[in-house]
Amino acid sequence: MSSRAFRWLVVSGLLVLVAVPLYWILDTSFKTGRQILMSEAIYMPRPFTIENYLYLFEETRFAQWLRNSTVVAVASTLISLAIGSAGAYALTRLRFPGRRTFGALVLITYLVPPGLMFIPLYRTFIQIGYSNSLGTLILAYPTFLVPFVTWLLMGFFRSIPRELEEAALVDGATRLQTLRRIVLPLAAPGLLAAGLFCFTLSWNEFLYALIFIADDSLRTLPVGLSEFVVSDFAFWGQLMAAAALASAPVVIVYIYLHKYMVSGLTAGAVKG
Amino acid sequence: MQRPARGSGDELILAPPAAAAPRARGLAWHRVNRVQERLLGYALIAPVALLIVVLIAYPFLNAIWLSLTEKMVGYPAHFVGFKNYVALWESARFRIVAWNSVVYTVGSIGAKVVIGLAMAAALQKAVRGNQLLRGFLLLPWVIPTVVIALTWRWLLDLYRGLVNVGLHDLGIIGAGIHWLGNPDLAMFSVIMANVWRGFPFFGVSFLAAMQTVPQDLYDAASVDGASAWQQFWRISLPSIKGVVAIVTLLSTIWTLNDFNIVYIMTRGGPGAATHIFATYSYELGIQSQRWGMAMAASMYSLPVIALLIVFVVRYLHREEPSS
Repeated sequence: MSSRAFRWLVVSGLLVLVAVPLYWILDTSFKTGRQILMSEAIYMPRPFTIENYLYLFEETRFAQWLRNSTVVAVASTLISLAIGSAGAYALTRLRFPGRRTFGALVLITYLVPPGLMFIPLYRTFIQIGYSNSLGTLILAYPTFLVPFVTWLLMGFFRSIPRELEEAALVDGATRLQTLRRIVLPLAAPGLLAAGLFCFTLSWNEFLYALIFIADDSLRTLPVGLSEFVVSDFAFWGQLMAAAALASAPVVIVYIYLHKYMVSGLTAGAVKG
Repeated sequence: MQRPARGSGDELILAPPAAAAPRARGLAWHRVNRVQERLLGYALIAPVALLIVVLIAYPFLNAIWLSLTEKMVGYPAHFVGFKNYVALWESARFRIVAWNSVVYTVGSIGAKVVIGLAMAAALQKAVRGNQLLRGFLLLPWVIPTVVIALTWRWLLDLYRGLVNVGLHDLGIIGAGIHWLGNPDLAMFSVIMANVWRGFPFFGVSFLAAMQTVPQDLYDAASVDGASAWQQFWRISLPSIKGVVAIVTLLSTIWTLNDFNIVYIMTRGGPGAATHIFATYSYELGIQSQRWGMAMAASMYSLPVIALLIVFVVRYLHREEPSS
């Protein structure tokens, strides 16, 4: 097989593989209940309807979940950025005893899988009497976001020439002034990328949200979506409409983000 | 946070005129600054440290203790040693869970490496539209895992799912296939969904690594008559093996304790055919309130996870410039 044929085969194969499920989401979301139930018009919605989307806002708590997801994702992102950028700066630029150990510790905590942490964290929140609130998630998400942000930003801070900072220090600026006036503006693209990654990770998070939240009104989107499926039955039209809407913000974020992706990935974000 | 700011005033006064003694000025500045630097360092790292101690280390150590206890409703938890571990070891269901976790992890990652390598090799040559193509292929990695798992569940629906209907319409199958109802196929299905979600990231990471290989190597190999296949095996693959290793390790750590895809697609079923560590811990802990047992089940994956984490940390620390 020539390399040209191989390339063509792989590329078209992968395109179909990725496109078909995505098409299936949109396809289903625009069908009527009858078309889905009777398996009519499988490949194309005929007639085309937006009733599933309207139903979400009129008959379900979708708007509420959307709001909860937004609050949790934005708050945990801001907290994680603040904490993580300070930590990353200290670990790359300041000399203090224990620095290297700390760097390793951050990396280790970044690697600990949520599948191992959900029971320990849940028990801790129960102990301190703070479960079943959006605040629980806003506290819980930084446990995986902060190590991630810190690790990601350490790479960005390292790429900023030390000389710029040293020049400012010699001219009499304090460390904090240097951080605010020189380092942060230069690291802005990194901060933005880290923030968008955090937003995406929080927005998509499911396990903690499933376990820490009991009230229907406090659910986030992923948990709300999963509740559409009752035993073996689901309202697939409404569910796929919800899936499309829940994916939209992160796809939009990603269109902006993707130029940073490969460069900024470092240890990657295969997590979750 | 006040100290360094105030200190900076002294610094200016202490510093002799630069023109007179530039070296001495530098030294004095450093001496005053070393203390400040430490204090600022600890101040800036404190929030991260607090988070790690309170919300990661403490819960985790507490959970290890929990795995050594037993709690009956109405009584406080009491220490039982390794009883939970022994009970799990002897339980047929838990052995299935452990084995499933291995199959799920090895199957998913094996497929992702192969497809990722194919993707990287196919996209390596700069062609117009490559950027766009790569962007599109990465979409599964971006959208929420819950959406992916629900979509696959619906794709594989016995009567109305696109896969069965499509295969039927193409004349490939007669009756619908029980993708999620048949134990072997159910494991295959959850792996498929996981691979669909994860292969783009593998492909893009491998591609980024391949693009750092100097073009001269390929040119020289072409001149010597090496086929594209040989070039892939002899040049591309050896030069990206570090990235392949690190991506595989990272992914193994997280896949071994994966939860979302299995929970949403099969809830671990049929029977225990797709139950893996995290879904089983969920069943024992959240559903049955047997916390000690649930934590012990999680702990069985810990030695492997810890070992892999050590590998990754050592690898990344070697890569990292010691600034």
